[in-house]
Amino acid sequence: MLEMFKKVANASAVTIFILLIIVPLWLALDRLIWVAGPDMTNWFSALNENYISKEVVGFTFLQATLSTILTVFIGLPIAWQLGRYEWPFQSFIKSILTMPFVMPSIVAAIGFLNLMEIYDLRSNENTWFTILILAHAWFNLSLVIRFCEPVLSTLDPRLEEQIKLLPNGQSFLDRIKHFWAPLLLPSVAAAACMTFVFSFTSFALVKLITLGENTIESMMASIGSSAGIEGYQVSRNEIILGGSIIQFTVLLISLWLMSYLQQKRQSLLPKASEKIAKKRSRYGWFVVGPAIIFAIAPLLAILVDSFRVQTREQDNVTESWSTEGWEYAFKETVSLSSGWDALINSLSYAFVTLAIALPLGWILAQTIKDLEVKSPKLARIIDVTTMLPFAVSSVMIGLGVTIGMIKINPEFFYQLWFTPVIAHVMITTPFVVRIILPALRSIEPAYDECAMTLGVTPFKRLISIKIPMLRGSIIIAAIFTLAMSMGEFGASWVVTRNSDWTTLPIMIDTIREAYKPITNTASNAIASVLMLIALVLFTWAEKFRPKRDGGMF
Amino acid sequence: MVKKMKKEFACCLLVSMMMVSGCLTEKIDETIDDLVTDDYQFVDDGELIIVTYDVSGLTDTMISTFENDTGYDVKLIKLDDAGSILDHLMQYKGVQIADLALGLDNTYLQTALDNGVLVEHIAQNIPELDEKALIPYDGPYAVPFDQGYMCLNYDTQIVDGVNYTVPTSLWDLTEDEWKGKVVFPSPETSSPGRAFMTATTDYFANDNDSTTDWTDWWSAMAANDVIITSGWGEAYETHYTGGYGEWIDGHVGDAHIVVSYCHSPGVESWYNGNWTKSAALDLPRSAFHQVEYAAAVHGGNLNSSSEFIEYLLSEQVNNNMPTENFMYPVLNGSDLPEDGGYRYHSVIPAHPAEVSAEEIAQNMESWLEDWNRAMVDA
Repeated sequence: MLEMFKKVANASAVTIFILLIIVPLWLALDRLIWVAGPDMTNWFSALNENYISKEVVGFTFLQATLSTILTVFIGLPIAWQLGRYEWPFQSFIKSILTMPFVMPSIVAAIGFLNLMEIYDLRSNENTWFTILILAHAWFNLSLVIRFCEPVLSTLDPRLEEQIKLLPNGQSFLDRIKHFWAPLLLPSVAAAACMTFVFSFTSFALVKLITLGENTIESMMASIGSSAGIEGYQVSRNEIILGGSIIQFTVLLISLWLMSYLQQKRQSLLPKASEKIAKKRSRYGWFVVGPAIIFAIAPLLAILVDSFRVQTREQDNVTESWSTEGWEYAFKETVSLSSGWDALINSLSYAFVTLAIALPLGWILAQTIKDLEVKSPKLARIIDVTTMLPFAVSSVMIGLGVTIGMIKINPEFFYQLWFTPVIAHVMITTPFVVRIILPALRSIEPAYDECAMTLGVTPFKRLISIKIPMLRGSIIIAAIFTLAMSMGEFGASWVVTRNSDWTTLPIMIDTIREAYKPITNTASNAIASVLMLIALVLFTWAEKFRPKRDGGMF
Repeated sequence: MVKKMKKEFACCLLVSMMMVSGCLTEKIDETIDDLVTDDYQFVDDGELIIVTYDVSGLTDTMISTFENDTGYDVKLIKLDDAGSILDHLMQYKGVQIADLALGLDNTYLQTALDNGVLVEHIAQNIPELDEKALIPYDGPYAVPFDQGYMCLNYDTQIVDGVNYTVPTSLWDLTEDEWKGKVVFPSPETSSPGRAFMTATTDYFANDNDSTTDWTDWWSAMAANDVIITSGWGEAYETHYTGGYGEWIDGHVGDAHIVVSYCHSPGVESWYNGNWTKSAALDLPRSAFHQVEYAAAVHGGNLNSSSEFIEYLLSEQVNNNMPTENFMYPVLNGSDLPEDGGYRYHSVIPAHPAEVSAEEIAQNMESWLEDWNRAMVDA
């Protein structure tokens, strides 16, 4: 009976996942092809033949590549300092430096815009691209630290002493070439892969920082509103199809590479305790100090700017301290939703997403784990299927919902408050699976078998054995789901702009009106709220993170 | 074994390709098409959903007054521009969510009419409207609520005849002097951009030069590093040196000529106590008369949308268009105010482009394709 129930639950989870994730994307693809025609060569040539998309692919690759190089260039010395030397308040410093990664991209964009205004860089168009690359480096810095620092901090120091005695380890450069480089390369490459993926699909940062330039992601978002209509703006459907296929292929290759490198990272070298005597770095503060300032500066700028109000009187612009921006942001008007509405919507969407994605992801992970013994092939298929949304960008997921699902019954989906949740579940469920699956695999089956022998009921075994053992992973998955849903921008921007279900990230973007200075301050106020929520969730998640965790979650 | 796997893979691929052949989409759209009937029926749900762009004339006070007077609950769907309004109407064709479309202009209206997304309004109390506003369209599907002329604006402090010469022909802008110093909103994404592109088709059709046409000029502009922005706001506020943008964070100020309204200098002057450094350039046939419309949406609440049209055209609201929405009113005999040099600094072009609504409707799609080719090939 119990076995039967388990099978039904597993099959239902797989079905729901396919319905929720595959169906909207398939419907959207079906519609786009219906409008654009099946000739794939037209899809790709459209990218070069249209002014709106010309040079977009090149720009996307260029900025992603440079962002990746800069992120590694900045991140590696920091990871080295943190991993190889002793630091006062080490875990606090590590938390500060890894915090940017959990910040919603729109918050990062607002933070960098504020910094640009402080240093008067906004008026110099030539700085925009550099700032974008820097912002991507800020956002992804923690990936390099999280991937490389554990390798450095847990490596037995005797190994380095031994290599110093060998002919190939005499000089520092020799040791880098023959010892550190081979050791760190898989971790650096894995971090670089993820940085490339996030920069390649960057939307909020590109939209706000580099006016006039587009990544494939931001271009698809801007033309998505006219896609999927028979005989109307046909070339835009071709552009979206061409762009999304390039994006899908690049993301798929990067994720495959990432997975391959992750396996390589399982080092066989002897590890030492993190507490092994380490020296204090004499010049380390020259690396770690600026890094801390770099990590904090955009966030501080948001908080400060939320209380700075500009007054413009003809040729005179003055700034003063005021709470007017906060009042404006949380005041309801006919033409503008109040910050309270956006906050309630965001929180509600996050919790509904959690209520669906967490159990769904957990059951899917359990299904994969169960099938790994009975039917490894099927387990592999489901495992790969759950990873599929990683290779689809948020904007494409948003388009899946709008031109895929909403088209089935526009009135129903427009009035349905729940609609944006579909996109959020599509984005977060794969992360839940990826967090819980390794934890499930690490549970010794002997515990369960012993309890079974002792006659403990399945429900009691779940409550007293499995859940306590999975507690950390479940909490991290839950927090991650909440944080991702709260900060989600790309898909929400596509889905909610035709409705009045605004969320905090969408409001930050829409509230800004150039000719009203107060709206700039108000968008900083909303960004501060989102930033503080992300910080609370991040601090909470840090408590449950395994000490030697070297992944991104 | 390998052969079998290959077969399975090929079958899966074939099934997947069949799945995305558009069959299902066709079925969904057929069902939606069936919902569109000539016999118009609607339910008055006590609501008015307006799909619009960021029309600044829709103030809270104005909407609250309408709500109090009529009892309708007003909701706004605010999109990016007139093009987004048309996109929205097309996306929801047959199953519309909005009741009223506010902001489609005469370069977009015909596409909306051709696609049957609008319905005849039943507004009764429409006052006499300015004849000019009715030239592009004078039918029952859309009513003008504001108007203005789009033309080139220039910064008089820089384009002063010494540093830069005031252009006397559009070809002047292709000279080296203007390299990277001119900004236009894109006709693909912005209605002012589309209006100006339309004007150029007429300008070059009447320039007594049969060796070149309007697409050659756009190619020459692209080669001369013209700045193309996605919307009017980015062009005027971020790039133009002569407007209020210079007081705004993020102002770049790298262009001295921009496409805006011929009365934009008047608005600047009105704000600055009768002072502006921006001026409109009245080159024959380079200005376009733009009319913006309010239109009842097919499938929406005809009562509430028609009542709002009446309200929008009432004297108390429409006469405020120059100061609330920065556009000319459409009521007969109305004009811009004289305060703060508003009317003095606003130009009414002597010879605006003459492009009929029919021409626009017939050619817009191909003009956009030609424009795209001219810009890409440059």
